[in-house]
Amino acid sequence: MRLQFMLSEIWTGLRRNLSIAVSVMLVTTVSLYLLGLGLLLQREVDTLKGFWYDRIQVSIFMCGDDSAEPNCAGRGVTDEQRTALKDQLDQMKPLVKNVYFESEQQAYDRFQEQFRNSPLASSIRVGDIPQSYRVQLSDPTKYDVVVSAFQGAPGVGRVQDQQKTLDKLFTVMNGVTVASLGLAFIMIICAVLLMATTIRQAAFTRRRETGIMKLVGASNLTIRLPFVMEIVLATLVGVGASVGLLYATIHYLTGYVARELPDVAIVGAGDVWVVAPTLAAIMLIIAIVTSWATLRRYLRV
Amino acid sequence: MIRFENVSKVYPRSSRPALSDISLEIERGEFVFVVGSSGSGKSTLLRLVLKEEGVTQGAVLVAGQEVGRLPQRKVPRLRREIGTVFQDFRLLPNKTVYQNVAFALQVLGRSRHAIRQVVPETLEMVGLDGKEKRLPHELSGGEQQRVAIARAFVNKPPILLCDEPTGNLDPTTSLDIVRLLDRINRTGTTIVMATHDDDIVDQLRKRVVELKNGHIIRDENKGVYGSGR
Repeated sequence: MRLQFMLSEIWTGLRRNLSIAVSVMLVTTVSLYLLGLGLLLQREVDTLKGFWYDRIQVSIFMCGDDSAEPNCAGRGVTDEQRTALKDQLDQMKPLVKNVYFESEQQAYDRFQEQFRNSPLASSIRVGDIPQSYRVQLSDPTKYDVVVSAFQGAPGVGRVQDQQKTLDKLFTVMNGVTVASLGLAFIMIICAVLLMATTIRQAAFTRRRETGIMKLVGASNLTIRLPFVMEIVLATLVGVGASVGLLYATIHYLTGYVARELPDVAIVGAGDVWVVAPTLAAIMLIIAIVTSWATLRRYLRV
Repeated sequence: MIRFENVSKVYPRSSRPALSDISLEIERGEFVFVVGSSGSGKSTLLRLVLKEEGVTQGAVLVAGQEVGRLPQRKVPRLRREIGTVFQDFRLLPNKTVYQNVAFALQVLGRSRHAIRQVVPETLEMVGLDGKEKRLPHELSGGEQQRVAIARAFVNKPPILLCDEPTGNLDPTTSLDIVRLLDRINRTGTTIVMATHDDDIVDQLRKRVVELKNGHIIRDENKGVYGSGR
């Protein structure tokens, strides 16, 4: 009975205050959507790191016959130099996990494959991309050791570490994360203020009921719980909507990336489900704390 | 049942105390009229019993408990022991007679079964049987006050406080309402009624406590309205 009465109180309360309940829901949706995007971007950064760290981290490009690199001085790498480089790499185990040799022909083939849809492909000839050692590290963060060891070594044109390219990408992604988290923070402040206003208004429109409840000796919990539950319900709907939006966004993005950038790892729907409980917990705590604090102030015994 | 021990109450930003050094003892089962002109302190006296206000000095005891020492979380329990009736009825306009009375029990978490049993009984006692489904605006003033009394009494509190319950009613209806309160009093309920309705006080011949400027100037059994007239 008690539960049923409570539910009917909540239901009448929501119906009477429908427009403002909807606005609480919408603000919750938007703030959690932004917060969720920020969290997912961070997961994407982690995913990309993992993805790239499994692959080649440092490429040691050797001199070709007409390399423009100053270290080559117009001469191609000799067989002795190449063997010396390989020996030196082998000595750097266990930091160096794997070394692959890529010939000019292999480099050309790979380029043709990667850029098959681009006009660039036809402008490249065999020999334009020099032969290289592709090095995989056991600890990708220590690429500096390899770079400094081979930069300027005889027969080496250029040492390129993927980390630098990745770092630029990560900087951009971190920037977007900060921006979305910042917006989410502002939206959450809006949500808190809106919830407080909602409670104030609801407490005012129902002052007769709460006045009688106080007089006949209803407990504080009985008087306040319907108000809190209304906010919690609106919040839950908002949480659901934001998770749905995040899922839709990721679903669309994964489809797009899979078509256009098949070589890039991206967060999937699974990550949305990982983030969702965090979003729900954050917003529910905010909702409960805000409404309880507001009620303490505006619904005195 | 209710005892005031040297109670003073000064409202903030007020120069004159609303009650000053009041001592009063009301026994279980008594019917007491508190009379006096507006501003004499009648309402303040009732509000102190309900702990809607705290005392400035002294102690108010209700059923042996000192109200001033009661922590806030125990105030609801105190109020369950006290029914309250007001001049302006304070009914919920969108609930029927039955729902208005049942509301008082629902918010206390009573079972549906108990409510179905006790609400019709109470409505019959106050003379409203057959009008359960009416809304407050479809009732006369006297009937609305009966609903309010039913709501205050449905939980069978040992004390009933009435703050000018006949203030909005004509003399005949007023007398009916007070007769109803008298009947409730005979079930053993202590009744404290603040009023300035001299006819009623003179007819019922109950204990009369007269307040003036926050002081008790008269306390007599089987009294009449007297000086304030």
